[in-house]
Amino acid sequence: MRRRTGKGVLREGARMGRRRTTTYAALLCALLLLTACSALTPGNAADPDRPRTVPSSTAVPRGEGDITLRLTFADAPAMVDALVAAFHKKHPRITIEPRYTQFADYVKSIKLTMASDTAPDLAQFAVGMDDIAARGDILDLAPYRDAYGWRKKFPAASLDQLTGSGRRASSGRRLYGVPAGLSMTGIYYNKALARKAGITRPPRTLAEFGRQLAAVKRAGMTPLGVGALDSGGLHLWAALVNNAMPPKAYRNWVKGTAGATIETPRTLAATRKLVEWSRKGYFNESANGTTQTDTTAQFARGESVFLINGNWAAGQLSEAMGKDAGFFLLPGERPGARAVSSGFSVSYAISSRTKHPQAAGAFLDFLGSRQAAKIVSDNGFLPPDESAVPVPEGVLGEVARAHRRVTADNGMNHFPDFTAPNMLDPLRAGVQKLIAGRTTPEAYLDSLQDVWQDRYGGGS
Amino acid sequence: MSRAKEPSARTAPRRARTWRDYRGYLYVLPALAVYLTFAVLPALHTAYLSLFEWDGVTLGSWVGLGNYREVFADPALRGSVVNALVLIVFFAFLPILAGLAMTGLLARHRRRGMGVYRLLFMLPQVVPLVAVGVTWRWLYGDDGLINETLGGIGLGGWARAWLGDFDWALVAVGLVGTWVLSGLCMMLFLSGVQKIDPQLYEAARLDGAGPVREFVSVTLPQLRGELAVALTVTTVAALASFDIVYVTTGGGPGEETTVPGLLVYRLAFSDGKVGLASALGVLLSLLILVIVYIVNRLSRPETPERSLRPGSAVRSRS
Repeated sequence: MRRRTGKGVLREGARMGRRRTTTYAALLCALLLLTACSALTPGNAADPDRPRTVPSSTAVPRGEGDITLRLTFADAPAMVDALVAAFHKKHPRITIEPRYTQFADYVKSIKLTMASDTAPDLAQFAVGMDDIAARGDILDLAPYRDAYGWRKKFPAASLDQLTGSGRRASSGRRLYGVPAGLSMTGIYYNKALARKAGITRPPRTLAEFGRQLAAVKRAGMTPLGVGALDSGGLHLWAALVNNAMPPKAYRNWVKGTAGATIETPRTLAATRKLVEWSRKGYFNESANGTTQTDTTAQFARGESVFLINGNWAAGQLSEAMGKDAGFFLLPGERPGARAVSSGFSVSYAISSRTKHPQAAGAFLDFLGSRQAAKIVSDNGFLPPDESAVPVPEGVLGEVARAHRRVTADNGMNHFPDFTAPNMLDPLRAGVQKLIAGRTTPEAYLDSLQDVWQDRYGGGS
Repeated sequence: MSRAKEPSARTAPRRARTWRDYRGYLYVLPALAVYLTFAVLPALHTAYLSLFEWDGVTLGSWVGLGNYREVFADPALRGSVVNALVLIVFFAFLPILAGLAMTGLLARHRRRGMGVYRLLFMLPQVVPLVAVGVTWRWLYGDDGLINETLGGIGLGGWARAWLGDFDWALVAVGLVGTWVLSGLCMMLFLSGVQKIDPQLYEAARLDGAGPVREFVSVTLPQLRGELAVALTVTTVAALASFDIVYVTTGGGPGEETTVPGLLVYRLAFSDGKVGLASALGVLLSLLILVIVYIVNRLSRPETPERSLRPGSAVRSRS
């Protein structure tokens, strides 16, 4: 092959030249790219010409011919189909085309979907919607709230949850969505097994619930099923905190009101309670490795006496356990304390790019009707207007009655992960650490407040 | 190509290039265009985005190297890199050991049913990783096969929810990777063994080598190239792991199994921190490049006569 000769130096020079050319070419490419890029900062600013709020009139303009609205959503396809069909019957001129996306994907794509020029007219409300509202991609529905009298048709707490406040959506009077079906968390219990442990009625105070957990433990059964691999742990923590913290203080924290904090003596005590229960072995042994779905199946098989979950599990449990299934809200410290819980709604917002805000508003108003309530209830959700449907039998009825108490006491709180889009993981991982004794309640609350501070503090 | 140019380059190093010199590039142009459009440009764009604070929709703001500082300052982000390095043990070292052991057992014996073995060990590679993750979540579950087996052989005390255990979750996730990648390593080594000159084995046997000696002295050195490929592929799989972790633990319990790949996804798509996610992605790519470079340096053959690169042969002689 090649031999090293006197001309090797020359050859080396040629190679250097070749290398230099390549380097120049690469540099030139990079430079071109940079100049091309520096003109475009990623993303784009909100369009100031788009309307920010719905028109004051609710009447669907005549003479427009048939109207088609596109609806993008992630929850309860059967319910949406039924609602859309019933609405079309009432308003034959308006057709709604639902488009279903799986929840996890929905949450991730909704910002871009709503920012695009082909945004759908209606969209299911999700975490992070206040960013979308702040950008002006969804309409403020306040005029319709007054024109349609939504305050009477929907529970105050569920409208509050859809009302903007805090740093992002400046004033607290803007309404960004209307609820169709509501959700709520609580404790299920197995009545047959509970009787074996000498428990004959739901607890009336937190201390009594603690004694019941202890009694079940003594009877050799697993007291409380917690699906902490996903969100079961944070539901339990939120239930404890809801009872410890004044609802206003908690809601201020979730909404990002200046000066709000989760690091209070009361929340610390509530967090310590969770750690205490874990240390005493009140949870299923592998809570951290079990999903909510799995703990629910275990509970239905009689492998735990209590279960923390939401109303969405009631249908399944009623079918599997019949009369043995019961439901109660995690009680407060004193008997007769305000009934509180965490929950949210399947609710819908109107795009600011829609050509038919009145037609979309008519659909939202329809959600408050008795007809809609019946559909919502049939699909396992709690209807906004509870008087519209008879209280169902069994555990479904217990859930419905508990929800009425919460509504009457105005005790419905946000899920804690609504604080910030990146709050879910610190909550989930943090409760796992609490259960395993890998962090202190103080450090856990501190980590939550850090995330809060990152979003709402610092004045930026 | 370079050899054809050599004589002219010697006499006139600064001669203007002719069309002939560049004609070769024409052949790679289609592939190059695809590569540039779908690999290089997005990578550069990611690096560019990493200099902004951007939520993915609204107007971003320039923060320079701020995102990189945050990656190094945030213990959760640093911890994820450590987790990924631990995963190398399970994704790279164990599969390679298993693959070598399997090769030693299977390689030189032609028995009936060899194809079935290969198929069985290759199967994890064919199954989508998400399906693998879901299956293993069941196996590791409270009353999953692994706990049942432990109970069946009297080790019930060891039973636990593996994916929810702070000490064992990362090991459990890692072993899924071992299971997936062992078959790949075995296939690589088996095909490598078939290229080995049978004379070498014959000579070894004449010298009185047993199967172990034969494996260590003949098979292993001849598999150097395959080892490098296996190590590269599996290390990249460990550092860039996402799907298995996402499906089995979602990064939990706590942050015990959180890996950079998962964080990039989470930061960009749920947390609205596209810039920070890009910075983490860029650093992860750099880390992978460095490790792959080291692997390739270490596995380069020492014997010059086997070298296919004339340049390195010349240099190593001087």
